[in-house]
Amino acid sequence: MKKVLLSLLLVSIIFLLFADRGNAIPAFARKHSFNCNMCHTAYPKLNDFGQRFRDNGYQIPGQVGGEKSIFATSPPIAIRALPGYDIYKTECCKMNSFHIFGVDILAAGVFHENLSFLFIYTPRIDEPAADYTGPQDGLNPRQLASVESANVVFSNVIDNKLNFRVGRFEPSYLPFSAKRSYYLFSPYEIYDFATPMNTFIVGDNQLGIEAAGHFKSGFKYAVGFMNGNNGNPDNNNNKDIYFRLLKTFGRGDGQSAGQRIGIFGIYGMQPTSFYGSIVSPFGETDGFINKQFYRIGLDASINWSTLNFQFLYMIGKDDKALNTLRPTEDYEYSGGFAQIDWAVMKNNRLVLSLLYNWVFPPDYDEQGKLKTYSVLGRYYLGNWEAVNVALHLEYTYKGRTICRFREDIIGMVIDFAF
Amino acid sequence: MRRELLSIMLLLCIIVFVVSAEEKPPRKAPPLPDVAVHSLGPQKLAPLPPVPVPPDNPQTPMKILLGKQLYFDTRLSADNNESCASCHDPAMGWSDKGPTSVGIKSQVGPRRAPPVSNSAYMPLQFWDGRADTLEEQAKGPIINPKEMGNTHEKMLETLNSIPGYVEEFETVFGKIPIDLDQVAKAIAAYERTIVTTDSPFDRYAKGDKTALTPLEAQGLEIFNGKGHCTACHWGPNFTDGRFHNLGAKNKEPMEDDLGRYAVTKNDKDKRAFKTPTVRDVASRPPYLHNGSEQTLWDLVEFYNRGGGDDDSNMDPLMVPLGLTKGEMEALVAFMKVAVTSNNPEVANEKPIPPDEFPK
Repeated sequence: MKKVLLSLLLVSIIFLLFADRGNAIPAFARKHSFNCNMCHTAYPKLNDFGQRFRDNGYQIPGQVGGEKSIFATSPPIAIRALPGYDIYKTECCKMNSFHIFGVDILAAGVFHENLSFLFIYTPRIDEPAADYTGPQDGLNPRQLASVESANVVFSNVIDNKLNFRVGRFEPSYLPFSAKRSYYLFSPYEIYDFATPMNTFIVGDNQLGIEAAGHFKSGFKYAVGFMNGNNGNPDNNNNKDIYFRLLKTFGRGDGQSAGQRIGIFGIYGMQPTSFYGSIVSPFGETDGFINKQFYRIGLDASINWSTLNFQFLYMIGKDDKALNTLRPTEDYEYSGGFAQIDWAVMKNNRLVLSLLYNWVFPPDYDEQGKLKTYSVLGRYYLGNWEAVNVALHLEYTYKGRTICRFREDIIGMVIDFAF
Repeated sequence: MRRELLSIMLLLCIIVFVVSAEEKPPRKAPPLPDVAVHSLGPQKLAPLPPVPVPPDNPQTPMKILLGKQLYFDTRLSADNNESCASCHDPAMGWSDKGPTSVGIKSQVGPRRAPPVSNSAYMPLQFWDGRADTLEEQAKGPIINPKEMGNTHEKMLETLNSIPGYVEEFETVFGKIPIDLDQVAKAIAAYERTIVTTDSPFDRYAKGDKTALTPLEAQGLEIFNGKGHCTACHWGPNFTDGRFHNLGAKNKEPMEDDLGRYAVTKNDKDKRAFKTPTVRDVASRPPYLHNGSEQTLWDLVEFYNRGGGDDDSNMDPLMVPLGLTKGEMEALVAFMKVAVTSNNPEVANEKPIPPDEFPK
């Protein structure tokens, strides 16, 4: 173990010293000839300018009307890939391997003034390798092929007070984007927590329509309708609804400057009887005996100098009809996370971060209480045209109260996008 | 059922929006001329291309010389004391030394003179863009009661009474008497020669990676990234040619200045001013349209705070930058040296002595 770590450290240092600086530029930066730091504190995390750029339909805020459309610029396509190495350890065993942890193919741009789009495709990554003949060959891909996002944005319908996003997208009820988090091995656990008979996952992209906007007073809102089936066709005929309301204080939107507090809520229905029959040629099923669930939470993002503190707390409740573990009572749980990001060195070339996650399901749930502690460092290579190659080192301790289960994960990744 | 209705209403809203996007009613203000609309992307910082010259005012050596004489000639003003150069002073980076300009009878204006250098690349002239061309711009200050305080008629009367000028205008334009368009064309022709090039940045952009010091190179990286400068200061002339409200409202006793709004009457343009070039910025403190920031350091601090105090109509581009002291030092180093041109003939332009003016 020590030898492996020392070797990797040595390789990293050599790479840092002699690496040719990357020239690749992701789609928006390439379009505008900007460095990535224009929109990202350090990619993939958005700064305030980047958040406003996203909210404004991928048009530079304050410059609407001057954007070249995708027909007048180079193809707005970018690729992000995450090759690396991990060491995984539990109470019983230890494993390590090289991997491709993820690949995204992105396209985004402006069709017309205030009409833009985002498309993200994640190709299937089969691991183990093709020549592996074990029992899981082909059945346990590292990444499933999917259209992660495909949405169109109608921006500035009423100034910036009303914008629409339609399609499959990351809903705005998520105060902190899991897709644009620095962490690669430590998801926001509360986002991914699955309750006994409810297929809804908070952190997944969803299919639907969202209206959002912001006001000079610092208030921002979002409301939406969605299938609530994690980006899939619906499993019942009720649409789930959500809202998000936040207030910013001071200059900035709370991403990298200013302070922000907010609340969010999701109210949905899940079928207790799926029937299993596809009633539409488009994939939706007419699940029935629908029962309600909700998720509600609050969040804060506080900035001081180059430090950003993020906090989220959420509670969830499923109707007892959805509680297969104890059908006599509603399934209730809570959880959240606290994260501190610190951008260090000139031009935020080094990012350090600490993350604490907790998820507390009811005592009778055998998953047990989950606590994770993570730390990471990311160093960005690159020249003045783009900073888009990051050396990523992350450690996570994950512990559950049931059976004193623990996992240790060390991940080392070259996170690059072009 | 109510949800379905709401969904249909939302859908209708979208359809209405899409349709209306094609059939927008005319805006309050007339659309900018084509040349004014810089398309965004790519906005690469780069060396300056050749100066654009309008077909109806070709550059000739004689015309440029005539324009230079007019530029420095105080007889264009009502009291024979003010010339273009009184405010657009070559020794002050083609701008002026005060926070704001001082014109005829020591009247203080609400804005400082924008630099003439590289103004030939600007799609619109003046801080509020009220002139489409350099020719149109040149006519304005002559009759501004706070600047040269003259009338076009009296100014032409003066010029037509000077045989030396009459002779030169006849040589250049082939006709007399001197008219206003000829005066404007001559001045504009001269101003098109005031171009600053060959800065360390230009050499760096052409491939000489030793042209910038490591600190200046860091400054360039910040300029085009974390500093958000290229959100507006982009392209070969380091400007988008557009108008932005930075929150730098005039403080009393200075009169409120509504900037671009005076031209468009569009509320969004209130206190929005044209983005100036960053080229040779070190030579013309203080900064902003009202000279409210004394030094480059002050200017960077201003942006690092997210702009000025007046945020009632602040441009959404303005956000705090989170620059550290080291990053600010790098940015200032870049602006102080790296974009300073090496054109002695432009930087050291000497005013024409009064005894050398046409008589």
